[in-house]
Amino acid sequence: MADMVKDTFTLPDLGEGLVEATVLEWQVTVGDTIERNAPLVEVETTKSAVVIPSPRTGRVVELHAAEEEVVPVGAPLVTFAITPEESSGAGIVGTVPQEERPTRRVRLTPPPE
Amino acid sequence: MTELIERADTADVPAAESSMQQAINRALRDLLAEDPNTLVFGEDVGKLGGVFRVTDGLQKEFGSQRVFDTPLAESAIMGMAVGLAMNGWRPIPELQFDGFAYPAIDQIVNQMARMNYRTRGATPMPITLRLPSFGGIQAPEHHGESLEALFAHVPGLKVVAPSDPAQAYTLLLQSVRSDDPVVYMEPKARYWDRRATTFEEPSDPVGTSRVVRPGRHATLIAWGAMVHRCLQVAELAAEDGVELEVVDLRWLKPIDTAGLAESVRGTRRAVVVHEAPLTAGLGAEVATLITENCFRDLAAPVQRVTGFDVPYPAGPLESQYLPTIDRVLLAVQRTLEY
Amino acid sequence: MPLHESEEQGAITVDHLPPDLARTLYRHMRTARDVDTEAIALQRQGVFPAYVSVRGQEAAQVGSATALDPERDFVFPTYREMAAALAHGVDMVGYMATHRALWHGGLYDVQAARFGAINAVVGGPVPHAVGWAVGERLRGDNGVALAYFGDGASSEGDVHESMNFAAIFGAPVVFFCQNNQWALSVPNEHQVAGGSIAARAKGYGMPGVLVDGNDVGAVHHATSEATERARRGKGPTVIEALTYRVEPHSTSDDPTRYRDEAETERWIRKDPLVLMRAALLTAGHADEELLDEIDAKARQEAERIRDGVANAPEPDGSELFTHVFRETTDELTRQRHTWQEEVEL
Repeated sequence: MADMVKDTFTLPDLGEGLVEATVLEWQVTVGDTIERNAPLVEVETTKSAVVIPSPRTGRVVELHAAEEEVVPVGAPLVTFAITPEESSGAGIVGTVPQEERPTRRVRLTPPPE
Repeated sequence: MTELIERADTADVPAAESSMQQAINRALRDLLAEDPNTLVFGEDVGKLGGVFRVTDGLQKEFGSQRVFDTPLAESAIMGMAVGLAMNGWRPIPELQFDGFAYPAIDQIVNQMARMNYRTRGATPMPITLRLPSFGGIQAPEHHGESLEALFAHVPGLKVVAPSDPAQAYTLLLQSVRSDDPVVYMEPKARYWDRRATTFEEPSDPVGTSRVVRPGRHATLIAWGAMVHRCLQVAELAAEDGVELEVVDLRWLKPIDTAGLAESVRGTRRAVVVHEAPLTAGLGAEVATLITENCFRDLAAPVQRVTGFDVPYPAGPLESQYLPTIDRVLLAVQRTLEY
Repeated sequence: MPLHESEEQGAITVDHLPPDLARTLYRHMRTARDVDTEAIALQRQGVFPAYVSVRGQEAAQVGSATALDPERDFVFPTYREMAAALAHGVDMVGYMATHRALWHGGLYDVQAARFGAINAVVGGPVPHAVGWAVGERLRGDNGVALAYFGDGASSEGDVHESMNFAAIFGAPVVFFCQNNQWALSVPNEHQVAGGSIAARAKGYGMPGVLVDGNDVGAVHHATSEATERARRGKGPTVIEALTYRVEPHSTSDDPTRYRDEAETERWIRKDPLVLMRAALLTAGHADEELLDEIDAKARQEAERIRDGVANAPEPDGSELFTHVFRETTDELTRQRHTWQEEVEL
């Protein structure tokens, strides 16, 4: 399980029907390890400036756009190296179920012995 | 049946952590290695490794002749499996999601299931259809169905649903080595279930269930992901002083009538739990088998806890559709009070 | 698109065929015609519950089946391929047993005959041909799969899926469509959009051949080309053999409800057997005396098949259970006991 796999995050449509965004400021550099939802990059669209939270926990191996560069929606933004474990949920249809502590409201009465 | 092969790498190895996804992957790898006639194919099973990554790495290891992508057409995938079997291969096709089995029903029911019969044994169909099945992952429509009753109803098919990684490994070996066509239903919700797993050769005959937790007050009968649900229920029931036995049916056809009867004779009460809708579901078959074989021993009618007779619902309603802990507990209470 | 249609309607030539082959084609066609006639009689005599005639399609079937190597190739039929079965060397008593309803799929050994089980879901066996052919290539062998289907089956999704699969995998398949112009009561103009099944091949990037299905030599030639092409690893071909179902769809059918007798009469005048007989004489491949001899042998063979199937024993009731599984189940064994109990009452 030691092999790392690469996972590239592409620029999503940050508003309804936007076609591009400008990279304002990267919050990471190549080699950084970033947690999921930690600030990744600030971008500006025709609607607003917004900080994109990291979609992954992983090590940043490539930034695909320089600051001030315009990136089309769907183009690669950043590539992470992640463990296969973390990648196993990627791309699947549906949601990986979270194991929760079982709870209940019903209580049982044992039958008479 | 293919002769069992001693495998140095699986014998006496201490239990390691494995998910069900990895266990199935390992079983496929071992099957591809042991029998040069096995073939793995379907939509996106090659380079991508399947939408659930169950076939991850297999094409790289065994080549694109043994593990290959097909165009997107479920009927042709199953028809191709039939033709390959007619030519001496042992196909292991995947249909990507349970709901996508419907377009292939003619090939599964009219062709694969009865080819050995209509050719009077000249044309065995040693095909294992891998079918990611059941719900619990909030998937889109047609991606979470429970087709076991439909398949179990078809003469000539065998149907199996594993409940944990170890079972998934062993039952897949058994299914693929069988010369009968088997529908192997993989519970999607348990793909990521990781636990200490030993990978064992099949030792029980096809069609045997197993007791996964002993108990004396009532028997819970389930398969696939619902085995885990029943174990949760049994754990909570124990806090109330109620000892529930949990039976993992494993084979949905043939059903282990003797195993069911043995358990229910001990507990005198039975609750069958499945995700599929109630009416004409497999629970009815299980309840009937228990009634036929244990009528005098029963202290209460067999209860069924199932999905409702509604189309499989969208994400937020899924948890209310699937048998919940409380719904199972209520059914248990009904049998205890009967 | 190559066209192998005879120049002149109502006449064919077999000048280009080796005399032996031409005579063999005639013998198979003649025998199939006689078996067909006997089968219709057996239905009217209450021996067959129903029968589907191949009359008028003998050239399409014999011409194509004889282009195959019965030791290497494999045929995937639907339910109206009696003349093809005969030409391919299938045990015809076993084949005709399906029409006596002795066993669905027939009583011949499918694997030994290299001729798939008779199949009523038209279109259903076509993907089997693709799977078989892919399997042949994977093993490094060079057999060819020939799938028969009709103009009706050409509407089935399985046929489209199969052509697409075969082209993608470069599978050695001959898709042989007998366009007999009537899918039960529905004619081509309400069945085949665009009017041509052969033309569809182009969309899959494979050759599509339209051939006069009543010209046995032309059919044989077209199928030989497609088979050799497949054998050389050049992939699949679609052949559309234009012919006509001169009989009702089955003995239960009444075509006066939906088609003009005059149209049928026109096609009866193009009877492939009559055309072939004339062509043999014209080519000098046979004289009347030889043809009479072949006819007599065909008749004997048809009678042998007729008597064989009419007198074949019915299967024992226990066979209900024998081949459901390779490894039977306790439940099925229990049900067999239930059957046994009733038998022994």
